[in-house]
Amino acid sequence: MIVGFGHITYGQTYNNFETDSVTASQPFKPSKTQFMIRGYGHTGLNFMNTEGEKESSYVGSAFAPIFLFKHSDRLMFEAELEFGLEDNELEVGLEYADVMYILNKNMTVRAGKFLLPFGTFMERLHPAWINRLPTTPLGYGHDGIAPSSGIGVELRGAFDLGGPKLNYAVYSTNGPRLKDGSLEPEEAGMLMFQNFEDNNTSKAFGGRIGLLPFADSSTEIGFSTYSTSKVGTTDSEYENTGAFLYAFDFAFIKQIPAIGGFIDIKGQYNNSDIDDATYIEIEDDIEEEYTFDNKSDSFYAQLSYRPTMASNDFLKKLELVGRYSNLNTPEGAEWEEQSDQYAFGLNYWLTWRSVIKVAYQTTDSVGGHDGGGTANGFFMHWAIGF
Amino acid sequence: MKTIHKIFTVAILLFISGGTIVGCSSTKNNYTAATDVQEEFKMEKSGAQMWGEACNRCHLAPSPADYNDTDWSTISLHMRVRANLAENEIAKIETFLKSAN
Repeated sequence: MIVGFGHITYGQTYNNFETDSVTASQPFKPSKTQFMIRGYGHTGLNFMNTEGEKESSYVGSAFAPIFLFKHSDRLMFEAELEFGLEDNELEVGLEYADVMYILNKNMTVRAGKFLLPFGTFMERLHPAWINRLPTTPLGYGHDGIAPSSGIGVELRGAFDLGGPKLNYAVYSTNGPRLKDGSLEPEEAGMLMFQNFEDNNTSKAFGGRIGLLPFADSSTEIGFSTYSTSKVGTTDSEYENTGAFLYAFDFAFIKQIPAIGGFIDIKGQYNNSDIDDATYIEIEDDIEEEYTFDNKSDSFYAQLSYRPTMASNDFLKKLELVGRYSNLNTPEGAEWEEQSDQYAFGLNYWLTWRSVIKVAYQTTDSVGGHDGGGTANGFFMHWAIGF
Repeated sequence: MKTIHKIFTVAILLFISGGTIVGCSSTKNNYTAATDVQEEFKMEKSGAQMWGEACNRCHLAPSPADYNDTDWSTISLHMRVRANLAENEIAKIETFLKSAN
């Protein structure tokens, strides 16, 4: 008995389960390391009429998960995959995958594959749940003249100037590669921005500076550049062909009581200047050399209005949107094109991140892949961010 | 094109190296007396106001209730870099979102 009680009395008592961490701890205690999946998706129905040739199709559900891994308050990894159905095949793309580190309150460094701050459309506005129309303006995406992403390193940040704000980004990437026409003669002289392994020793340098001159952050004007001295493959005749691109962007977003809602104006002008080079075209089995002034530009302006101050709940969730865009590619190139596009849409916002978009779009083209003409489209899409 | 690229490359390299030196240097404020008084009387925007202004620049302002505090801290870091927001701006927005969810 004495030995037994003595053993119990002098036994260790610090792990008596009453103060165990399970019962004493908070029910939910966040860690510094956090992992999160966000992203967006969209689906819809397209009707197209191109010079009398009609087609309609449900367009596959695009799914773009974004993986965010917050390692600490300064270090984060982010990546976005993009799954889409195109030409009866599943297309998978890596939109971006980069690591970022906050150096100080005004400087952040990023490395990896990141969206390029060339203007604002591709970096900030292209996701389906943010883009107010189901389509992108002319000059972006496949065969576009504006770069969307690159592999390299970037320094960016922002300054609060006591009301006005200034943001900047400078970066170096592998840069684009020149399509010399050996694989696709009709695209000779175009830039291909998906340059995962650099085809030469020259890097591209670029940057954007944005100014928000008013204290309410309603207006932003930006200027971007992108330059490289070599876009051709090493030891090829195009090795020393260079390129210089620049863009202006503008945004104005403000709730104006006089018109009872939000007005949102956005626009961007892109200009591409590639050194002239000599390309080869084959006609009737005869090779002919040709060259052209390799300059392109594109522009878009978009206006949207949401009557957020309306008394009717249904009206509050509506949005009217109109967009004009234009694309001019080099005269004399196989891909010469002059296009004007008008798009009009009516959106219904189910929530702040889920929208039903109905839009009509008409495009008049001279030249281009399809030989030009008028293409009209009617779109009904549902986009959701998560 | 070559001349433009060289000028541009040198300018970018100078900016990056200068910025890195400044960024990695000491941030201790040696002059504290005057700024303390100024801070006391400075009228500053609330986090709610900044949330309405900054988020709407690209997309509709998010509902604070849609995410918990942990999620908001992750999203805030992501958006700070993605939208190139100023440090004080995103700090106030994050505080507001966590207080209103």
